[in-house]
Amino acid sequence: MKILVTVKRVTDYERKVKISPDGLSLVTEGMNFVPNPFDEIAVEEALRLQKAHGGEVVVISIGHKDASKEIRQALAMGADRGIHVIAEELDPDAVARLLMKIVEEEKPELVIMGKQATDDDANQAGQLLAGYLGWPQATFASKVEGLDSEAEKAQTPGVVIAGGEATVIREIDGGLETLKLKLPAIVTTDLRLNHPRFASLPGIMKAKKKPIKEVPVASFGVDITPKVRNVKYAEPPARKAGVKVADVAELVNKLKTEAKVI
Amino acid sequence: MASNPLVSDRDVQFLLEEVLDLGRLLRLPAFADHNQETIELYLASCRRLAREVLFPAYKPMDEEPSYLEEDGAVRAHPLMHVMYPSLVGLGLISATRPAEVGGQALPQTIGLLASVYLMAANLSATGYLGLTSGAARLIESFGTDTLKERFLPKMYGGEWTGTMALTEPQAGSSLTDVKTRATPAGGYYLIEGSKVFISGGDHDLVPNIVHLTLARIDGAPLGIKGVSLFAIPKRREEGARLVDNDVITAGVFKKVGWRGIPSVALNFGERGDCRGWLVGEPHQGIKCMFQMMNEARLMVGANAVATASVAYHQSVAYATERPQGRPFTSKDPAAPQVPIIEHADVRRMLLRQKAIVEGGLGLLAQTAYFADVAEHETDAETRKRARLLLDLLTPIAKSFPAEAGQESNSLSVQIHGGYGYTSEFYPEAWWRDQRLNAIHEGTTGIQGFDLLGRKVVAEEGAAFLFLNEEIGRALSAARSAGVDPTWGDAVAKALEEIGRLTLHLGGLGLSGQVESMMAHSHDYLNAMSLLVVSWIWLQQATAAHKGLKERPEHADFYRGKLQAAQYWIRTELPKVNHLVRLAEEVEASYLEMRPEWF
Ligand SMILES: Cc1cc2nc3c(=O)[nH]c(=O)nc-3n(C[C@H](O)[C@H](O)[C@H](O)COP(=O)(O)OP(=O)(O)OC[C@H]3O[C@@H](n4cnc5c(N)ncnc54)[C@H](O)[C@@H]3O)c2cc1C
Repeated sequence: MKILVTVKRVTDYERKVKISPDGLSLVTEGMNFVPNPFDEIAVEEALRLQKAHGGEVVVISIGHKDASKEIRQALAMGADRGIHVIAEELDPDAVARLLMKIVEEEKPELVIMGKQATDDDANQAGQLLAGYLGWPQATFASKVEGLDSEAEKAQTPGVVIAGGEATVIREIDGGLETLKLKLPAIVTTDLRLNHPRFASLPGIMKAKKKPIKEVPVASFGVDITPKVRNVKYAEPPARKAGVKVADVAELVNKLKTEAKVI
Repeated sequence: MASNPLVSDRDVQFLLEEVLDLGRLLRLPAFADHNQETIELYLASCRRLAREVLFPAYKPMDEEPSYLEEDGAVRAHPLMHVMYPSLVGLGLISATRPAEVGGQALPQTIGLLASVYLMAANLSATGYLGLTSGAARLIESFGTDTLKERFLPKMYGGEWTGTMALTEPQAGSSLTDVKTRATPAGGYYLIEGSKVFISGGDHDLVPNIVHLTLARIDGAPLGIKGVSLFAIPKRREEGARLVDNDVITAGVFKKVGWRGIPSVALNFGERGDCRGWLVGEPHQGIKCMFQMMNEARLMVGANAVATASVAYHQSVAYATERPQGRPFTSKDPAAPQVPIIEHADVRRMLLRQKAIVEGGLGLLAQTAYFADVAEHETDAETRKRARLLLDLLTPIAKSFPAEAGQESNSLSVQIHGGYGYTSEFYPEAWWRDQRLNAIHEGTTGIQGFDLLGRKVVAEEGAAFLFLNEEIGRALSAARSAGVDPTWGDAVAKALEEIGRLTLHLGGLGLSGQVESMMAHSHDYLNAMSLLVVSWIWLQQATAAHKGLKERPEHADFYRGKLQAAQYWIRTELPKVNHLVRLAEEVEASYLEMRPEWF
């Protein structure tokens, strides 16, 4: 089975991002970049499925030329080869249309993506891609047994593939839903699908020899003019200092008159 | 509280890219397989394993140490069972070994920095692998091909673990007095004797443990030249089976720290059926051990820096959040309390921790760098020079972090106030862990003897001359980068004082006055440590000056570096003068003190 996985290079979630003085962009100078954590879960899931069913895992990153490091990390985890579309920051729609081209060429049976990227949290690329391809999709894939389970310890995939179908447990408000999808299909991953492995040193050394194909974005003939425009970035309001109340009566009063929540 | 980073990523990057010449290392043929990317990826994996897996297991492992159970077994903590496969999977055990033995030829400099994260997260958990690595290394260097085939793949692959079994009740610092006996029995030796304090000496993580053991072959000469090295497995292979090899765990020590890895007393051959295999030539055991000593001692230094580092980061976070008191100038009792980091006296403690932690890490990285050059440089002269510098710096890189680390860890308790003295908070546990580092792998006293009695006088003082050159180079680099010239002057003065003292003590030694020469070996070690760490800080100050110009967006980082350099050079370095005087004048209070006067 051929599986395509996407990996986006995002700003390190452990560090505070800075907004440029004009409020129109984020300061990337001096920033640390990491693979999108949801995408690492996607890579892990693909590798487990590969172990169970054989086949190939191809990693795609669309973005900055330095994102080859994020692809390399996925290769070090065990993926087979990479495709790097070198581009500036794109909106999710452009990403989905570029991915569609790659899918048409690669013809995978499954595309696994993170449900969203932790930088812009758009949560759209997977759904858009499914729409453009006309493929079934299951978003927010999760593991029914949970992350402390024996199934997770045994590195069992959460997505079950059998008879040309994928069975996916997905997180929905207040519970879990089970979907069966006809392959080929799109799956996007939630946090509780698996614990991604760390790239081992032998894996890192092997990854050096695995191919990464670099493709300039222009070669796809896709119109990447953004449909979404960033109007302004702003810091979340600083949390105000709390107040101490003497008793429940005062609390209720304040909630009613000041906070106006009840 | 923000999660503890354990070690500052920015500092590690600074050391590799701005202070040390990583590019030069990577150009050596031995490291041809590596590049910036492989190194970054490996560091990234170690960091995450440390932060996400090892660190959360630290406290439970500290609170529930292993013990000798009723069935005679010693069981590792359940969390250790979960983590062990991940640690092995990372490739840690053989990372710096060549491809021929299944390693990845990683520079030691990188291996060490990556391990510091793991140690900072969970010293004991990392210990299992470090010990295995060290034990396998002995077999790799000195074992016969048969022994290598039997043990190396399993040990480097993490299927079996290893220990260093040196210490006996009557033979701690004095390994000459080892009594464990080895009787030739055709192809192997029958071993009989007892060892104490053997870390990782028993557990149930893997089916077999290989003890690299010092023992005397029957009829061996007395003294250091009669001690041999053996590999003694807990279970020996008979056909495809592992059978009991008559290695009994007699007890598990209750320890102050390092509670996540058991240190045990072992009895070999209670039933007369314990087989050991000679590693290296007969009677060369201590020599073999000595060849591995640098690496083992650097690892202890790394343990110490790691333990100080995690506590330092905890202190900074705590001091930023703990509101207490008001500035001297505030007269308004209704004004809110300020975070304690606003108090200069708290910043004094934090800056001292920073100077020790980052100075110590810089020293270790520099020493490991010399180790890489000493082993892999293509030019023989350069190799030899680096070897002498490595030998000279090793006792300092072991004992400085261990001793100053205790102070740093104690400051972390202090910054946490009363809470720091409770086990609800982490600092007391790290403080306990740190205490060992000045004891094992040669006590601080022994490091002092090694430095003055052996390293400084070796090859007619060549190592000291090379250090002189290195410091001289750092002084001129600092000057041209615009570092405050008074700092360089202070370092030059200390260097001159210690140089003069070294000549003087060397002279005493040559004229047979060894007692007088060695009377202040501890002060000599301290003076050298102050000087060497000042040299490290001067190099970092130089890099920080350049960084401030070239990468102003990192100004906070560089200013912090300059402040710590200033602190160390102004506050600590002047103590050299006093220490030199004590040694030069052979101040004789304890020299002349009689046991019966106590
Ligand atoms: C937790 C723990 C783990 C350990 N793990 C291991 C292990 O895995 N393998 C192993 O083999 N050992 C291990 N050890 C043993 C350790 O290496 C020894 O404890 C250490 O070498 C000191 O020996 P000793 O305890 O016999 O102290 P001693 O040698 O009795 O020293 C006591 C004091 O006397 C001083 N002293 C000793 N000799 C001299 C001298 N000639 N001149 C001046 N001063 C001297 C020392 O500096 C020290 O201050 C471990 C110890 C501990 C506590």
